[in-house]
Amino acid sequence: MAELAVDPIEFELFKNSILSVADEMALTIHRTTYSGVLKDNMDYSTAFFDNAGRLVAQGFTLPGHLGSMPSALAAIKQRFGEDVNPGDVFVLNDPFDGGMHLPDIFIFSPIFVDGELMAYGGTICHHTDVGGRVAGSNASDSTEIYAEGLRIAPMRMYEKGKRNDTFFAFLEKNVRLPVLVSGDIRAQLAACHIAETAFVELCHRYGKAKVRFYMNELIDYAERMTRAAIAKLPDGTFSFADHIDDDGIDFGKPIPIKVTIVKQGEGIRFDWTGSSPQVKGAINATLSFSKSAVYCAVQSIIGAGIPNNEGVFRAIEVVSPPGTITNCVLPAACAARGLTGFRMIDVLFGALAQMLPDKVFACSDGGNTGISIGGYHADRSPFIYVDFTCAAWGGRPDSDGLDGISNLYANMASQSVEITEIEQPILIEQYEFIADRGGPGKFRGGAPFRRSYRFLASEGVLQVRSDRRVFRPFGLYGGEPGRPSMNYFTPKGRPTKLIDSKFTMTIRKGDLFSHEVAGAGGWGDPLERDAWRVLKDVQNEFVTLEAAARDYGVVIDPARLEVDVQATTALRARMRQARGWKAIPSVVREPALPQAAE
Amino acid sequence: MSGYRVGVDIGGTFTDIVFLGDDGAIISKKVSSTVDNYARAIAEGLAQVFEAAGMAGRQVAEVLHGTTVASNAILEHKGARIGLITTKGFRDVLEIRTLRMPKLYNMAYQKPQTLVERRLRFEVDERMNGEGEIVRPLDPAEVARVVDRLVAEKVEAIAVCLLHSYANPAHERMIKEIARKRAPDLVLSVSSDVLPEIKEYERTSTTVINAYVKPIVATYLERLIDDLKKIDVKAPLLLMQSNGGLTTAEAAAEMPMNIIESGPAAGVVGAQALARQIGLSKIISFDMGGTTAKASLVENGEVTRAEEYSVGGGIMIGSRLMSGAGYLLKVPAIDLAEVGAGGGSILWIDAGGVPQVGPQSAGALPGPVCYDLGGSEPTVTDANIVLGYINPEFLAGGSVRLKADKSRAVLQERLAGPLGLSLERAAHGAHLIAASNMMRAIKAVSSERGRDPREYALFAFGGNGPLFAAGMAQALGIAKVIVPPSAGVFSSFGLLYSDIEYHFSRTHRRLLRAVGAAALNEAWGVLEEQARKRLAADGFRPARMRLGRQAKLHYQGQSFELSIAVGDGPLTDASLPELEEAFGQEHERTYGHRAGKDEPVEIVSINLVARGIPELPRVPDKVHVTGEDSAAPAPRQAYFGAEHGWTKTPVLRRADLKRVHPGPCIVEEYDATCIVPPGAAAGLDDFGNIVINIATGKSAPRREAAAAA
Repeated sequence: MAELAVDPIEFELFKNSILSVADEMALTIHRTTYSGVLKDNMDYSTAFFDNAGRLVAQGFTLPGHLGSMPSALAAIKQRFGEDVNPGDVFVLNDPFDGGMHLPDIFIFSPIFVDGELMAYGGTICHHTDVGGRVAGSNASDSTEIYAEGLRIAPMRMYEKGKRNDTFFAFLEKNVRLPVLVSGDIRAQLAACHIAETAFVELCHRYGKAKVRFYMNELIDYAERMTRAAIAKLPDGTFSFADHIDDDGIDFGKPIPIKVTIVKQGEGIRFDWTGSSPQVKGAINATLSFSKSAVYCAVQSIIGAGIPNNEGVFRAIEVVSPPGTITNCVLPAACAARGLTGFRMIDVLFGALAQMLPDKVFACSDGGNTGISIGGYHADRSPFIYVDFTCAAWGGRPDSDGLDGISNLYANMASQSVEITEIEQPILIEQYEFIADRGGPGKFRGGAPFRRSYRFLASEGVLQVRSDRRVFRPFGLYGGEPGRPSMNYFTPKGRPTKLIDSKFTMTIRKGDLFSHEVAGAGGWGDPLERDAWRVLKDVQNEFVTLEAAARDYGVVIDPARLEVDVQATTALRARMRQARGWKAIPSVVREPALPQAAE
Repeated sequence: MSGYRVGVDIGGTFTDIVFLGDDGAIISKKVSSTVDNYARAIAEGLAQVFEAAGMAGRQVAEVLHGTTVASNAILEHKGARIGLITTKGFRDVLEIRTLRMPKLYNMAYQKPQTLVERRLRFEVDERMNGEGEIVRPLDPAEVARVVDRLVAEKVEAIAVCLLHSYANPAHERMIKEIARKRAPDLVLSVSSDVLPEIKEYERTSTTVINAYVKPIVATYLERLIDDLKKIDVKAPLLLMQSNGGLTTAEAAAEMPMNIIESGPAAGVVGAQALARQIGLSKIISFDMGGTTAKASLVENGEVTRAEEYSVGGGIMIGSRLMSGAGYLLKVPAIDLAEVGAGGGSILWIDAGGVPQVGPQSAGALPGPVCYDLGGSEPTVTDANIVLGYINPEFLAGGSVRLKADKSRAVLQERLAGPLGLSLERAAHGAHLIAASNMMRAIKAVSSERGRDPREYALFAFGGNGPLFAAGMAQALGIAKVIVPPSAGVFSSFGLLYSDIEYHFSRTHRRLLRAVGAAALNEAWGVLEEQARKRLAADGFRPARMRLGRQAKLHYQGQSFELSIAVGDGPLTDASLPELEEAFGQEHERTYGHRAGKDEPVEIVSINLVARGIPELPRVPDKVHVTGEDSAAPAPRQAYFGAEHGWTKTPVLRRADLKRVHPGPCIVEEYDATCIVPPGAAAGLDDFGNIVINIATGKSAPRREAAAAA
């Protein structure tokens, strides 16, 4: 074995082959899945491990899954040890035994070549429903894991090729849409099957010894690449904190999320100490999820196309004390921990903006709002509508934040309005940008949109998880915070009222719910924004005439829609004097951060 | 005096022209594209051939044309100024797109600039629901106001897309009528005409693109017809569509969205036709040029099509998972997988010390280092020169001389030196890595769709396709490679093999068990009437019309469909379970699994492909390239990997392969170089195709392995 040496060309060919196996697995899921959450939101990932359970290659991946796979396979290995046989397929979803939150079901299949365990194929899919008290199993207001659905400990769903009927029977009896869930599990199994076929072929092409050797080398390669990229970043300690408004249970109690980055040479450490203890509401994140956020942020700033595997993890240290919202323990509820993930990403970019001021964007809209509407039709058949929606990126050092875009942490697609309306008892009445909501800046924060849902069945349950009502998306380097997220409810025939950002409520036929995503933060001094950009925003109704003057100091002739240059210069001078900046504020928050947290 | 059919394919640098005579004689001509007015190069190129061959314009029986005019207009944002009318509350559907970004972890990402600015997107207060029922009626007075405002904004075209108009087009038709009356000169593109299918973003985007390119395409076609008349060419002008079928100039001007990817489609259709001629029903076409390589699958003699694609979406491999790039067009198009690998792809070493090929390309300018036009980065072509595959004296028949020493120097300095490898080993490695990148395109259309590439022949063309094909076939376990005549200009050649073809579709969403055969017959009847009308307008008698029906089906709840052929003749209630079974089988074949018998199958849309079959066969049985009879050059040293080392390799002309030659050998032609590696053997078939047989001993154990798994 010691004879093997890396042939850089053969290695590159091997790397191409094994990455294409992982991608092929992902495509298989994409094409065969049943549910919109998987198909449109792409809330799934695929991966490939060596026989020691070390991640070698990951296929297309939701960023939130970057760190999830190794913990899951480790839980399988801990439970079953050496007792792994050809034809076995393992499954789990328990956040306290390898999982992340209950809707994410992990499936792993060991791959044997000539009787020897060589590798594992793994998949993770967010399932539409895994039971529990609220349809969609996503509720943010559960207060313990026991309310959230079926917990699957690490177990075999196939044993030596034989289907574990007990497992499937339990599963099918405990979820609201067993056909959908089984269909998506079949997609996961098909992906594992693809992994096995392709990997066996790879072993026959290269020989087992070389495959082992190159899998190891692929990990080392990723580590070298990551360390080299980290070494180029500025050294130092960078700390940043922000808040989740509340957990929807303890109303009005802000939840701090804080990270400290220590960068020294080739090493980088992310410490979540200072974040809130775990909370009652279902927004607690597992350590694997906190790692995912870190890996996503690191990938975004080093951007070298490094394959995500064990080697990357070796180069990045992540610390979070147990019992906190960034590393929760039993019996924490975690179904809606996506929110905490998005806030972690906001905080990570806030810290990285200090390290790399000319590279990082201002705060985005705060991440997905989760909206689910569930109930029963007249014939008692269930319906569940689950939508995650988000809209806007923060302003950037050289360009505006994007309007109408997925959050960087969850590259999700929207679901078609027309498809939603023929499948669900819902009429979507508005889906449009809102003016004056993006944070003003030299480069404006992205504009959010409004989505309104009219309910058409006789009765149902509406559950919403939104945030950024109180703690608005921060601006950078003089850019202002984005405007807050809003929820409005119009019961049939009655006046519209402002309602909470997180809630579960009964709705009836004809009721209208309207959600407004928060605007993203601006980057740079709004008084330095090119007047023509402001004019263009006014023409396109992203900014009103009043806001052009109020937020940017740009005076526009309302009849001719032209910039009044003289009046603009004068107004900007007055505004500069009035605000009396001594230095450009690096972070602009609303409300200001409590002293203790900064 | 014999007649000629002429294929013309416009590329970024060259316009390729192929004449095919009644007697099978082929004359090809490459002229520089004239970017300011593409029509000029065509007329000039034709005139040059007329003069050289002593031919007259009236001898041209048909002009078949593949053009990038429409796609360039989109990519360069040079389309018309257009307005969009939408349902109230939904004017931003076009700009919000699907929210998806095509790349992960890229904070610098910019969305493609929207083709209709927000201020030119107007709303009307109306609403249909998914059943096609009017929830809120449309007020004609409001429509009139909106149209007048758009006219005041000086738009050249108006696109209209209202919610659920596929289910009930009444409101869109009202807008159309009012707009016709108030602004008779404005170009209109109405979604229920353009694409009567569900999904508002896809429909809006397609309708908008159609409006955006319509004025430009119409002007271009008028001009081209005029220019051709001036040289006495009055023959019908037919355009290649993205779907691989031809359309008349008139229909193309009406629905230009159908001709946007017209270039790459022609090569695949040509490959399909030639393969059919030699009795091959399963091929993978492989087209490699200077910047990209494209693969496509032909199965049972039929091309495969994608339901939608993105114009300017870049490389398609990634986009199979990561949609969101470019401009979405939901129009059937030949399904191509594309990778950024071509002769100009740059070789480099990444931070981990591993050699990489592309996706950056030196393009045509400065091009590879050996062109000596200022290029400083080693490219795939430079590696091929070092390996002895490309004759530096014989590019484009010797009209361009290449500097081999520059290739060697730059590869040594940038690749071999830093990697600690010999020059030839490094160059060969780069060649293999380029091949492995392109193999991903081949896998994307085969194994990723549940098809085993080893069951297919590889049909290679484009300037660089024949150079890589046999090596890739060896690695993939493919037994046979076909290299057609005129491989380097094969896209124009392919145009000659295409027929008139139109695709019609309509959303018809019902559970298969709940829909009656009568309803389906009626729905298809409507499409068939449309199709017959279209073909009759193009001059086809009913006997020459071929209509084929397909249904798009999925298991209820799935959001991805499979297309299943539906037999001719009226459906009966008994044929519906057969359709359901055919779907289950296809699902199993493509994905390796199917649902239980009781799981409901839903029909999503009905489709119709209408072909017009010409009265006489348009392509002679045998074709021959004129003017390729120069003597073959001397053998040269070429490198085929450490196993073989440098090998004295015979250099041949295509005609020399009348006798089968074992590899290694090199076949040099005017427009392409074909490499036959050791272990393979090449000969000619009766139709002038080079047939390379790959020794498949190597793939035998893999077959067993796959079977065992």
